[in-house]
Amino acid sequence: MSGTKILIVDDELIMRESLAGWLERDGHDVFTAASGEEALEKIKETHFDIILLDIRMEGMSGIEALKHIKEDDPEVAIVMITAYGSISTAIEAMKGGAYDYLLKPFDPEELGILIEKIIKDQARQRENLFLREQYKDRIRFESLLGQSKAMQEIFDLIEDIGPTDSTVLILGETGTGKGLAAKAIHTYSPRSQGPFVVVNCGAFPENLLESELFGYQKGAFTDAKKTKKGRLELAHGGTLFLDEIGEISMRMQIDLLRILEDRVFYRLGGTQPIEADFRVIAATNKNLDDAIKSGAFREDLYYRLNVISFTMPPLRQRKEDIPLLAEHFLRRFAQETNKHIDQISREAMDEMMLYDWPGNVRELQNAIERAVVIAKGRKIMPEDLPIFRQEHRTPPKSKSLKEVEKHHIAEILRETNWNISRSAKILGIDRATLYNKIKRYQIEKSS
Amino acid sequence: MRQFLPNTIIISPIGEIEDDILKAIEKGVKDAFGYPTEITPLIENVDFAYDAHRDQYHSTPILERLSDTAPAHCLKILGIVDVDLFIPILTHVYGEAQLGGKASIISTYRLKKGILEPFRSEKYVCRLRKEAAHELGHTFNLKHCREQSCIMHYCRRIEDVDHKSERFCRYCKILLNDEIKRLRAKGIKPLPT
Repeated sequence: MSGTKILIVDDELIMRESLAGWLERDGHDVFTAASGEEALEKIKETHFDIILLDIRMEGMSGIEALKHIKEDDPEVAIVMITAYGSISTAIEAMKGGAYDYLLKPFDPEELGILIEKIIKDQARQRENLFLREQYKDRIRFESLLGQSKAMQEIFDLIEDIGPTDSTVLILGETGTGKGLAAKAIHTYSPRSQGPFVVVNCGAFPENLLESELFGYQKGAFTDAKKTKKGRLELAHGGTLFLDEIGEISMRMQIDLLRILEDRVFYRLGGTQPIEADFRVIAATNKNLDDAIKSGAFREDLYYRLNVISFTMPPLRQRKEDIPLLAEHFLRRFAQETNKHIDQISREAMDEMMLYDWPGNVRELQNAIERAVVIAKGRKIMPEDLPIFRQEHRTPPKSKSLKEVEKHHIAEILRETNWNISRSAKILGIDRATLYNKIKRYQIEKSS
Repeated sequence: MRQFLPNTIIISPIGEIEDDILKAIEKGVKDAFGYPTEITPLIENVDFAYDAHRDQYHSTPILERLSDTAPAHCLKILGIVDVDLFIPILTHVYGEAQLGGKASIISTYRLKKGILEPFRSEKYVCRLRKEAAHELGHTFNLKHCREQSCIMHYCRRIEDVDHKSERFCRYCKILLNDEIKRLRAKGIKPLPT
């Protein structure tokens, strides 16, 4: 867990295996594919950070595979692997979006430096994205809403556990509002006047997460021009919210366990122990039981975090909340965009009630935001909702939830010209989930 | 009948490796991992792994051969060769190991770099002890560590090998102890300290 996911694509078994072994010992999660075709299959199931792609292969060439992969996921870093004779092709590949190329056989130093550079670049991009999302969430998604029994139970629970100082583990699918629940617990706690500090553990690579959490002394490393407080220190007197806790590395798990036990830590490069008093709330959409079984998550840390635990219900299990949430988002976005839209038509609401919302409340929020932009009149109509295509707006009774979901996904894919990353973003789900749904529903480009 | 559990780390020289050096490595391995050790040559040569085109020896088949020839009491093996090792995708390696497996190997070939009389040099012996513990560490499921002083730090240059210590960092020590605990649960115990 938390290692960089690397896919090696080479038709020579010996090359794949030797490189995979080396990268595994370096701590990465390594996958292999024997052809361009197999690589395309693999990327449907898993999101990779780096792809090492051989140029000369039987069947689909590396250059062709590069083109397809980049169409699907423009953000993945692709390093072309080439022999001396194909350098000009490798340079051509870089014009087609490859990150870099390596000549076979590589010097281990050269490979190590390149992988490190890619990881740093991607971390920077992820951090920027996280900051943008955090800003959006803060201004738009600031309250938990729900009249359903499931949400009433969550509210009661939050009121009960807020005043205690216990560590809380919040589970639930992406977009269900785990962060909002954490904030609500903080608000109900005696620490509510203190800071609420969020750390998205999945957004940082290990070394950056370490400096974010612990801070550093001036001169601790090359870029440490001045002493900086870490988020643990900043959370003193308040609550530390560790989002995506399932993503942290083994090394960070060891550190976190120690901090949860003694509440003492050192800044990087520092010798003075620092004591901080904060409550910890952690959240994840991962199945930590499975992660413990596979050895990716420490059992001792799990028990330390799992003092009180609850699961945020997915939107499909509390559909009665959809009208309330939809109206809430409508008011907010209409105000933000200064548009006079104050109603959602009955047909549009029916469609929303039938849909499964795999991306949960966040997906609903995005759908309403887009509908507000598109809508011409004072009412949101079904055709304003990006999720429903004209021909699918048949009477709701004739369609199952699954059918509605299938048609919606197909529509978004068509709209984005099958750009998987963009489609997944609009749907509010990750790429792997989208690929699974495409496979399950047998959605094809022509459909 | 009493069940025989493997608990010994075997140091297996292949070719001409001086006794003093072997003993120094053996001591380093015992100190680092705490299991009983012995020096036993398991294979005579590595000719089968020679690649004429590269004039180097492919380390992966050597690991497989070592693993296949391991006696029943062998928990882990460290092969030591004096030839230049490679894996096909890389120009060279100082050593290789089966991650979480049985066999590991180191080569003295590149570790002699910059040392005039290696066999009398403490620096050279120190490099060998570090690389031995590093590769064996992989067989205990340890991965590369970014702590520059840790023995599991991956050294890109020979100078970095000299700079790192002969110890596991705090993190790697915990992960090594986790692995030793797992082995202990199976009845495989290190030496009492």
